[in-house]
Amino acid sequence: MLIWLVLLFPLVGAVWNGLLLPRHKLLSHSIAVAGVGLSFLAALPLFVSLLGEGAAGSVHLAFSWIQAGDLDIGMEFVVDRLSGVMLLIVTGIGSLIHIYAGGYMNEEKTTARFFSYLNLFIFMMLLLVLGNNMLVMFIGWEGVGLCSYLLIGYWYTHKPNAVAGMKAFVVNRIGDFGFLIGIFLTYKMFGTLSFSQLHEVLAGQESLSPALTSGLTAIGICLFIGACGKSAQLPLYVWLPDAMAGPTPVSALIHAATMVTAGIYMMTRLHFIYYLAPSALMLVAFVGGATALFAATIALVQNDIKKVLAYSTVSQLGYMVLACGVGAFDAGVFHLLTHACFKALLFLGAGSVIVALHHKQDMQEMGGLKKYLPITHAVFLVAVLAIIGFPGLSGFFSKDEILWRAFSFPGVGWVLWLMGLFAAMCTAFYMVRLLCLTFYGKNRSDEHTRHHLHETSSVMWAPLVVLAFLSIFIGYLGIPPFLAEAFHGSNLFSPFLSSVIQVPPAGEVYWSFLHEHHSEALEWSLMGASTLLALGSASFAFILYRNGPTPFLQERKEAFASVYRTLYNKYWVDELYDRIIVRPLKEMSEFLWRVVDLGIINGGLNVLGQSLMFLSGVTSFQMTGSLHRYAVVFILGLMGLVVLVIV
Amino acid sequence: MPIEYYFSLALVMFLCGVCGVLFRRNILFVLMSIELMLNAVNLVFVSGSTFLKNLDGQIMVFFVITVAACEAAVGLAMVIALFRRYGTIKSEFFRILRG
Repeated sequence: MLIWLVLLFPLVGAVWNGLLLPRHKLLSHSIAVAGVGLSFLAALPLFVSLLGEGAAGSVHLAFSWIQAGDLDIGMEFVVDRLSGVMLLIVTGIGSLIHIYAGGYMNEEKTTARFFSYLNLFIFMMLLLVLGNNMLVMFIGWEGVGLCSYLLIGYWYTHKPNAVAGMKAFVVNRIGDFGFLIGIFLTYKMFGTLSFSQLHEVLAGQESLSPALTSGLTAIGICLFIGACGKSAQLPLYVWLPDAMAGPTPVSALIHAATMVTAGIYMMTRLHFIYYLAPSALMLVAFVGGATALFAATIALVQNDIKKVLAYSTVSQLGYMVLACGVGAFDAGVFHLLTHACFKALLFLGAGSVIVALHHKQDMQEMGGLKKYLPITHAVFLVAVLAIIGFPGLSGFFSKDEILWRAFSFPGVGWVLWLMGLFAAMCTAFYMVRLLCLTFYGKNRSDEHTRHHLHETSSVMWAPLVVLAFLSIFIGYLGIPPFLAEAFHGSNLFSPFLSSVIQVPPAGEVYWSFLHEHHSEALEWSLMGASTLLALGSASFAFILYRNGPTPFLQERKEAFASVYRTLYNKYWVDELYDRIIVRPLKEMSEFLWRVVDLGIINGGLNVLGQSLMFLSGVTSFQMTGSLHRYAVVFILGLMGLVVLVIV
Repeated sequence: MPIEYYFSLALVMFLCGVCGVLFRRNILFVLMSIELMLNAVNLVFVSGSTFLKNLDGQIMVFFVITVAACEAAVGLAMVIALFRRYGTIKSEFFRILRG
């Protein structure tokens, strides 16, 4: 019963705000917060019921949606431990961000449209998370894409925002195309799209035929293309940095905490397919590792505070995809959970800074904000420490888990581990750089802005404090087993998900290393190494940037000008896509328009019409319009006929 | 009376009608000439029917009269409309269908 309420509240909120468009800002804000907050309250008991030992998931059928021949697709929702975790992330973090958004959007005239989109997003995300078959998930998948588009372009009168929205939509369509092909392939091979039925079929098989394996690999790769689009992986990540054009709460909710993790959730939901398609998973692992490293290097030199966070998000999503790629789906979801907390906090903190500075986002005009925004600074510091993997905070546990699982992957594992390690060092560097440039050193903003600097209202900082506590403590759900033993605790998270995420029997030989036992000394030393490197890189950044941009840094910038320019211009990927995809497409359209349409089709029809006009001109002089003439011709003709018949 | 008398009368009437259609300039007279032609045909039908002892021809006449009535009604209506609009019913005036 509760599951319907979970879905209903955000939908009601979206419809209310969207159709009645209440003028009053407080009203629209309250409706939206109630929509997602009540949904969270309804989700809590659902989640608690899953906590018991061996609690199984349940499937709820709303109605039978499509019935045609063998195809029978129900509007089915699954509540198990995996969707339960996602449910809490979406509604819980969603509630906090909704509360914060009321403060952030306070300068707007009306906010009904904004909150309607935001609630609709929550509803669509819940469809995505709860759907028990690929098609219901696909509705949610497209729905969140739509809301993302609407919210990126929320201030659509400013052209770059509208363009960024369209870019996000179009790039996502490329990924969705892969997702759709994956759905078709699945239906063709198995005759069903239901997750539970697919799981039954695949888990029931002792060994796989080569045909089935290659089919599963194809499905896995197609679905991963979809995940690449939504979760901003190479080569489809380009939309996410541009998506920062939207209001900051949107960046926090959609483009950091929830929607962009849909790809990771989808792969985890279909882990039984991926476990049986190791070669597809290998691709996933390398794309994830490469994305983590690639995006992290770009983030090193960006100056827009939200751009840094955007590339950081791409990089962290790369970690999660990497985790999925090495079969550590539970570690991926764990990082998803911790990342949702600290990245939402980082974005909201950045949002507070942006509001305080009257919508300035360039870090070169910040600095020294610690004095003016003490609460924001405190929670931001927590988030930075969490993301760089400071021991004891949430990011430390989840990132270390992923690095360790990558390392223990046989064969190429150490390559993936190195990628992750470098990305972690870059992460530490750019996050501390961001922290220093924003909060420390001298204030570099102009006099007028500085004069108006003050801490944000409580509706904005209160959610930040909650998120800060989550960022500190949520990591203790997933302490690595060897640490847990040392501190007499236990890892709660992986065993919790293990009832959902299991290697199917046919893949047990290949994935046997997942249960292998490693020496604790190795784990300790790897953890120590990665922590030391990250902290070293962080202190290096702190020393360099603690006083803001200095002449020394300027010299370094000029010394490494080519590297700096490459990174600053994001490896020219956007320009490359523009050159090889957008421009040829535009030129072809131009050709089709000017030459084919206007020239051949339009011109051809004109020639045809004109020649007919000419021909009719030749004969139409006969038509004098004179009644008597017609009558004479008629009678003569008649007489001719009579003569013909008689003679 | 021999059948030829009737047919000859019908032929004369028909030719009168044709000449009327061809040479009268007034649309009203053109319409009347058409009626004349129809009635010539009716005469042929009736006399033929009597001569052949077959009622089919007489039934056909009823159809012709019905059609003629309709035609006359529509035709007169158009003549009135034309007169109202242009103030004349001279047929050479109406040449707007010239190609």
